[in-house]
Amino acid sequence: MSVMPGVVAINTFREAVRDRVLYNLVFFGLMMMGAAILVGQVSIGINRLVIINLGLSAISVIGLVMAVFIGVGLIYREMEKRTLYSLLARPVRRWEFLAGKYAGLLLTLLVNTSFMTIGLAVALYYVGRPFVRADLTALVAIYFILLELALVTAIALFFSCFSSPMLSTLFTLAVYVTGIFAGDIRDFGALTKSPAVQAFTRVLYYLVPNFHNFNAIAAAGHGERVPLALIWQNTLYAIVYASVVLVAASAVFGRRNLK
Amino acid sequence: MNPTTSSRSLWKAPVAIPLLLAAAAFLQSRIDAQTRSEAVQKEELLVRSGTLLKKLSLGYDPLLADIYWTRVVQYYGSRIGERDAHFDLLAPLLNITTTLDPHLVVAYRFGAIFLSEPKPAGAGRTDLAVDLVKRGIAANPGEWRLNYDLGVLYYWRLKDYHDAAAAFLAASNQPNAPYVMLKLAAAGIAQKGGSIETSRMIFAELYESTNDPKVRKTALKELRALKAQEDEIQLDKVIQQYEKLFGRKATSMLDLVNARLLPGVPLDPAGIPYVIGPDGKCRLNPKSPIGAPER
Repeated sequence: MSVMPGVVAINTFREAVRDRVLYNLVFFGLMMMGAAILVGQVSIGINRLVIINLGLSAISVIGLVMAVFIGVGLIYREMEKRTLYSLLARPVRRWEFLAGKYAGLLLTLLVNTSFMTIGLAVALYYVGRPFVRADLTALVAIYFILLELALVTAIALFFSCFSSPMLSTLFTLAVYVTGIFAGDIRDFGALTKSPAVQAFTRVLYYLVPNFHNFNAIAAAGHGERVPLALIWQNTLYAIVYASVVLVAASAVFGRRNLK
Repeated sequence: MNPTTSSRSLWKAPVAIPLLLAAAAFLQSRIDAQTRSEAVQKEELLVRSGTLLKKLSLGYDPLLADIYWTRVVQYYGSRIGERDAHFDLLAPLLNITTTLDPHLVVAYRFGAIFLSEPKPAGAGRTDLAVDLVKRGIAANPGEWRLNYDLGVLYYWRLKDYHDAAAAFLAASNQPNAPYVMLKLAAAGIAQKGGSIETSRMIFAELYESTNDPKVRKTALKELRALKAQEDEIQLDKVIQQYEKLFGRKATSMLDLVNARLLPGVPLDPAGIPYVIGPDGKCRLNPKSPIGAPER
């Protein structure tokens, strides 16, 4: 197997670090410290809960913002700076370049999320030491967030293969919001009497990426156990769906006229 | 602008920025003074539907629930103790909070206190508090503390001993509940409310299910006391019958036996004869250990 995707991935990660993308960690750290100190003063009985809910929500939002805004520019920037042409003149196939870019952004998100997880653990330890077994669910929730980010990154990369960053951002966010409301789309169809609408909404439900699957923040907050089956099912779902999107992206990018 | 000019003007920024910020702060204080009265009047909840907010939160509903719960605490805390305090938004805020996070047990528990406390310490709406806790129980079936809170609301606020006993009994059957304490409370409250049969059933179950000799002793003592209570009710009816037949009150149990209304002098569960008190009603013999304080 070619090592080129790995080389592209490492360079994408280095580029992100050079662009000071990881500076968001300072913001995250300050926010967690502030919340850990302040919440006890203004609320009752939710110190630990707020740290988990706020921490996981921040990890998710910051990750999403990075996945979307960096993801949509991955291809476009290379084309704008004309670096793509010199790269593709080398023995790098287009799909390898795409896979490398995807892996590089995933690595960036993984590093970023890992640091935020450490910050969350420190804040949790501060408000409610020692750790309890139920805190492990927060790790599952973070894993689900990473799966969600992997899917969003693939979608952003797909749109960036044929569209401008502005439009790609809009398209990606539209797909994301639709994916969150996937269950409601199906329920809406069930409310109607029309079998055609029901069939359509059902197809749409299975077609759009169901981001609701990856939300385990509430479970983490209350220390509820996440079934093992759900963990591997979500993992497989994310892998399969991201693969579909990446194959489509590769097909689009492969046919794109870069002259 | 050339670099020399730029470096010359560089010292101006540290002076200008604080000055401009101070000016902005001063202006903000003037604007606040202008709009404060308006702000006080505006106590409203723009979105009252928790379901809608849940949808709009795009999956971050647990965090939004925490924010709304903090708002509930601040709303209640800012009004508590005021002579003419109104808590009109308390119930809607709690509804939104618990819709956003149905497992936020603290919101049901403290929310019920805020709602049920009589004015001016609370909203004085025990009915809404009961509804809130019932919703909490439905959403968190294994949470014994919510059943306990429901029992407290029925017992203290509504004086509904029947429902209070049922709630404590339900709490005692939940996992991790201090079942002995709750069963004793349920039985005691049922007894207080006149539900002797319910009380006896709970004590009997407690007696059978526990291995703790102290608890068994307490349960047995209560069962005997309940039996005595039932006997007294029946014997009072016989005493009334005697009075109807002979036109005078019976002074001792022997009167009832001599009148062939009783086959013999009735004994309490400890084997001590019942007596008739100065008020003409049946009562336990002062020598009976039943009802005596536990040693």
